[in-house]
Amino acid sequence: MSIEKTTQKGSGLSKKGLDAGTVGLLGAVVIGVSCVAPAYTLTAALGPTVAEVGVQLPAIFLVGFIPMLLVAFGYRELNSAMPDSGTTFTWATRAFGPWVGWMGGWGLIAATVIVLSNLAAVAVDFFYLMLGQIFGNPAIADLTLNLPVNIATTLVFITLACYISYRGMETTKAVQYVLVTFQIIVLAWFAIAAFVHVANGTAFDATPISADWFNPFAVGSFSAFAAGVSLSIFIYWGWDVTLTMSEETRNPEKTPGRAGALTVVVIVVIYLTVALATLTFAGVGEGELGAGNPDNQESIFATLAGPVMGPFAILMSIAVLSSSAASLQSTFVSPARTLLAMGHYKALPKDYGRISPQYKSPSYATIAAAVAAAGFYVFTRLVSENALWDTITALGLMICFYYGITALACVWYFRAQAFSSARNILFRFLSPLLGGVILLVMFFKTATDSMDPAYGSGSELFGIGMVFILGVGVILLGAVLMLIWWRINPAFFRQEVILKGSAPKE
Amino acid sequence: MRYVVGYTADERGHDAVCLAVALARRQGADLDLVLVTPERSPYAGTYLPDKGFESLLTDQLQEWMDQGLALVPEDVPARGVIVRAESNAEGLIQAAEDTEASLIVIGASSRGLTNRFNIGNVARSLLHASPVPVALAPKSYRRTDPITRMTCAVGNRAGADDVVAVAVSSAQRRGLPLRLVSLVALDAGHSDPEGMEDEANRRLAEAASALAAGGRVSVETAHGPSIEKAIEALAWDEGEVLLVGSSRLAQHMRIFLGSTANKILRTLTIPMIVVPRTYATPGTTGPGAQTHEADA
Repeated sequence: MSIEKTTQKGSGLSKKGLDAGTVGLLGAVVIGVSCVAPAYTLTAALGPTVAEVGVQLPAIFLVGFIPMLLVAFGYRELNSAMPDSGTTFTWATRAFGPWVGWMGGWGLIAATVIVLSNLAAVAVDFFYLMLGQIFGNPAIADLTLNLPVNIATTLVFITLACYISYRGMETTKAVQYVLVTFQIIVLAWFAIAAFVHVANGTAFDATPISADWFNPFAVGSFSAFAAGVSLSIFIYWGWDVTLTMSEETRNPEKTPGRAGALTVVVIVVIYLTVALATLTFAGVGEGELGAGNPDNQESIFATLAGPVMGPFAILMSIAVLSSSAASLQSTFVSPARTLLAMGHYKALPKDYGRISPQYKSPSYATIAAAVAAAGFYVFTRLVSENALWDTITALGLMICFYYGITALACVWYFRAQAFSSARNILFRFLSPLLGGVILLVMFFKTATDSMDPAYGSGSELFGIGMVFILGVGVILLGAVLMLIWWRINPAFFRQEVILKGSAPKE
Repeated sequence: MRYVVGYTADERGHDAVCLAVALARRQGADLDLVLVTPERSPYAGTYLPDKGFESLLTDQLQEWMDQGLALVPEDVPARGVIVRAESNAEGLIQAAEDTEASLIVIGASSRGLTNRFNIGNVARSLLHASPVPVALAPKSYRRTDPITRMTCAVGNRAGADDVVAVAVSSAQRRGLPLRLVSLVALDAGHSDPEGMEDEANRRLAEAASALAAGGRVSVETAHGPSIEKAIEALAWDEGEVLLVGSSRLAQHMRIFLGSTANKILRTLTIPMIVVPRTYATPGTTGPGAQTHEADA
């Protein structure tokens, strides 16, 4: 609660954002883990990643973190140098000019819109699964396979989340602590139960853990490796939130870094434990419960929680449902704010820049994000037999695209200071350069590979792989929209609004 | 004398400003236009954190505030206040307490599906918790001339005397004619079996006789088959303001607005001031009597 008075003529809003110093180390880790949403992420990404890299899942989970870390350093530098000016869209526009900036913003919007549709779909799956478990009636769980029911329910979920976000309602601290604790307990329960089954000889396909699982070089091909890494970018997406916190923390000097490191440890331990548990319990075969069975790969916990946890599988349903529902609502904020910024800076029609007088949230932009997420989901669900799988792969692609642009924007923006200190060499030059290049290489490799109709889940349209259509198609759609807008209102593209620039020499 | 105006940059905010001006002109009050902006929790799980939005929002709030202040005529002193709070109601109450304001003015109109729900919420939570009277501007209220008459609706429950006392003192202070109205809902065909009308008239007569002889007070009883019809049957001045007391339920942390007041709100097109039940009336010596004069 703070009050700032303004006079009749002049004025000044309180510069104070969040109440300073309310978040401690534990709180920051909780925020980090909640943004990663491990229960949702694992059920969505574990299957598709196994499909690419098989038993080298743990290795890819570890390797995938490296580019994420490198890019996060660059993100943090940009965030502290231009704290008041948005994210990828504004940074890339400042560094590379309007065209690349526009596409960077589009990439961020597309990635978040795709994840919204996936979050809603996963929430719906587990919603019906949970109802089926409550009433002991598997027929209810199967409702999610009914196309009209599934689409209708997903649209309801998206609408609700949009409404909540539009109203500016937020998850509170207490709720966030409960959600995170609950997720961790349930995931640990799942892993322990799976190991117990293996020890008792009751596992589906007991597979001994081998050191080879941790060897990224054992992955069959570079294609598989690239696909695996771009998927693992997705599983760490959200982690870097801790690094960008500063004035919210009790100790802005130390808390963000420590929280980031601790969050990584927590997340990696969760991922590795669950990955090992899944592989050793179910193997990567294509049998009924096998992690290599394409039917299981869309949502691994939906298949395995029952056999592994028995009657307590309902806890997993609740964990995934709550995790994805909470993320669904909070993720709406991201594309809405980027759309709003683009509207404000004349990179989109000015309606997108409208803020609701009542709720002080992006109004038009929030609804636009919901319409896009709903449209994307309906399209994907109608044309692909494996909608969830394809969206997750396309999502990895999209994150690589906009993160890659962000990282290189950091390198280019700070080019005058890159070598002025050892710290700058590391954080403003080497890390983001390496991270950005890795991500863009993964992006181009995966994009090229995904043209093959047999890629990923094997869904296709007109003989072109579904992932290519969803990923590259969305980027091309952005390019077309950008050209149309340039013809309508070229102000942004003439740099009349945001000027290209760079950090001054130190 | 200071009024807090719950300002939003829309029609409803405009309604509130107009009513606040009309009330302030009668009494020479200063206005604080209060814009409430949500307090963002770091625990919201917003990813990626986008501080750019905060700076755009800041500019927008500033622009809105300038627009709001431009709605206030030159002769009414006004300033803008931007408040961070978890909810609109909380922010307005906080602003009223901090500045020792004697009245909170908000727009209470409802438009559209989503808005309607929310207005109910803002008004309800404000009425529920406000320590000072709350003035509700009806939809499209554009009158800024000083108010011309005050009407006080009196129910037949305990507590009605308090409202009458507040009404009498504020009408006197403003030099306004006061009309006391008893609303009686009668079922069609029944001729007042419980003597409700007699009871209502008796109460009003008592109240009127208790008043200082100098006041311009009139007494009326409105009846109809329902409260709504009874209200519609009354003649209203254009510059009229209706004063009602809050429900006794307020003390139980329930709905502060009584069902009768709620019905009035839905029917009326004139501004209404709701006086909290615990509000200190002039002459009482309870705590708060000094800080909050009954100047609704």
